[in-house]
Amino acid sequence: MSTIAKRWPAAGVTEIPYWVYTDKDVYESELDRIWYADHWLYAGLEAEVPQVGSYRTTTLGERQVIVVRSAQDQISVLENRCRHRGVQICQARSGKLDGITCPYHQWSYALDGALQGVPFRRGIKGKGGMSRDFSPSDYGLLRLKVEVVNGVIWASFSDRTPPFRQYLGERLWSSYERIVSGRRLRVVGYNRQFIPANWKLVIENIRDPYHGALLHVFLPTFGLFRPDQASEMRMDETGRHGSLMSLPARDPGAAGHGEDITRDIAVDASLQLADKRLIEAVKELKGDETLGSCCVFPSVILLQQINALQVRHIIPKGPGGCELIWTHFGFEEDDEEMKQRRVRHGNLFGPAGLVSVDDSEVLAMAQRGFATAEENGAAIVKMGTGGRENTNEGHMATESAIRGLYQYYREVMGL
Amino acid sequence: MTDSEWIRIASATELKEAGGLLGRSIRGVPLAVYEVGGACFVTLDRCTHAQARLSEGYLEGFLIECPLHQGLFDIRTGEATGPPCTEPVRTFAVRREGEDLLVSLKSLQEAQEEE
Repeated sequence: MSTIAKRWPAAGVTEIPYWVYTDKDVYESELDRIWYADHWLYAGLEAEVPQVGSYRTTTLGERQVIVVRSAQDQISVLENRCRHRGVQICQARSGKLDGITCPYHQWSYALDGALQGVPFRRGIKGKGGMSRDFSPSDYGLLRLKVEVVNGVIWASFSDRTPPFRQYLGERLWSSYERIVSGRRLRVVGYNRQFIPANWKLVIENIRDPYHGALLHVFLPTFGLFRPDQASEMRMDETGRHGSLMSLPARDPGAAGHGEDITRDIAVDASLQLADKRLIEAVKELKGDETLGSCCVFPSVILLQQINALQVRHIIPKGPGGCELIWTHFGFEEDDEEMKQRRVRHGNLFGPAGLVSVDDSEVLAMAQRGFATAEENGAAIVKMGTGGRENTNEGHMATESAIRGLYQYYREVMGL
Repeated sequence: MTDSEWIRIASATELKEAGGLLGRSIRGVPLAVYEVGGACFVTLDRCTHAQARLSEGYLEGFLIECPLHQGLFDIRTGEATGPPCTEPVRTFAVRREGEDLLVSLKSLQEAQEEE
């Protein structure tokens, strides 16, 4: 692994040097040390591959993989590359297969990646072919380590990655389990977007309770989220994972704002929703939180807000961009009313979401800001105190979760 | 015709000269003819997986390995014994009369219907 000739500012994690968002060598090193090392990466939902042979292709880091149900109770995650001459075999986003066959020379793999068929392996009429010691078992598709946890498929390029629950840590397990409790999931739909911003900005954003009521004017305007409501920003011991939970300050959807510290922030109190069903929630998960997120470093955010449930899958695309794939989901037991409610609440999210659009735009604006920064330019992260040891601060006037993230980042990156 | 009508498909000598594995088309039906330890067997010369010619494959014991993806069939029963093959291949009753190898006309006609 290469050493990066960059020095972190002496101030430590209260400053984040802009080069972490723009430097190509840093990005390449992140792929080696984070994405392809001992970390779990989000690979999909079990519900997306319901039958033996069902598959989806997806990208982990920058590497394309096939996620396939290879047997009744087995999910395989295989690199989408023929071991023969490197062809990317599956070109479709999803489908159903009996086996995996490369079009170039028809090399055929079983659903679990084992190499089964090499045409003319024995030659033609005794001439040519592979030598006798050719061993197909040496040339199966690259298999990632897989763990399915409460219906979510996790994959890792490293065999040394600890079991998922240990990787996530007990402090965040309840936030994870709250959203995916083991109930059978159902996909509601997908959004895909490209954000011209560094992938770490997406992670910082979900761990930034400070911006919630200030950027997302929709939220305080309609009483969904206020900076003074009870909230919990929690991190695991390493600082890499984070969860943000928020309890309602009052019944969401109620008319008017009353005495509310956001009144002085330019929120137009005269605005009322024409159809309050857009934000009216039915309690369905454990606890009274109206917002619960679990960000599993580095690749995914699981989030519940009102009755919208979603997975946001992050795919880095160079230092200056990332793809964000939203999988909106519900539960198999949802009745018609809940199905409609989830679609309605889903309008807050995605590339054009009434709330999420703000994030995509502002992150792109941030990346444009970094692009012309001076060499030793840095962002400052000084709200609140402390870093990863400050778990569960209970208020939103803090950036401790961002400092915690970079405490881990500096360790794993050797910066 | 009666059940006892048989049709000649090959000679024992040419089968031996072909190393015990021969492909032959009789009345539009592709046949693979095998010889193992003096006994003869016949299957349809078409792998049930990807339709390759089994007669171009590799015979070891009573197992024929398809040349395309190395799937396996037992030539005695037609059973698919190795992946990626799962569906059995059609077999034909075969007789030897002197030098001649014969299959039953009825079984050939049944196969013809499926061609």
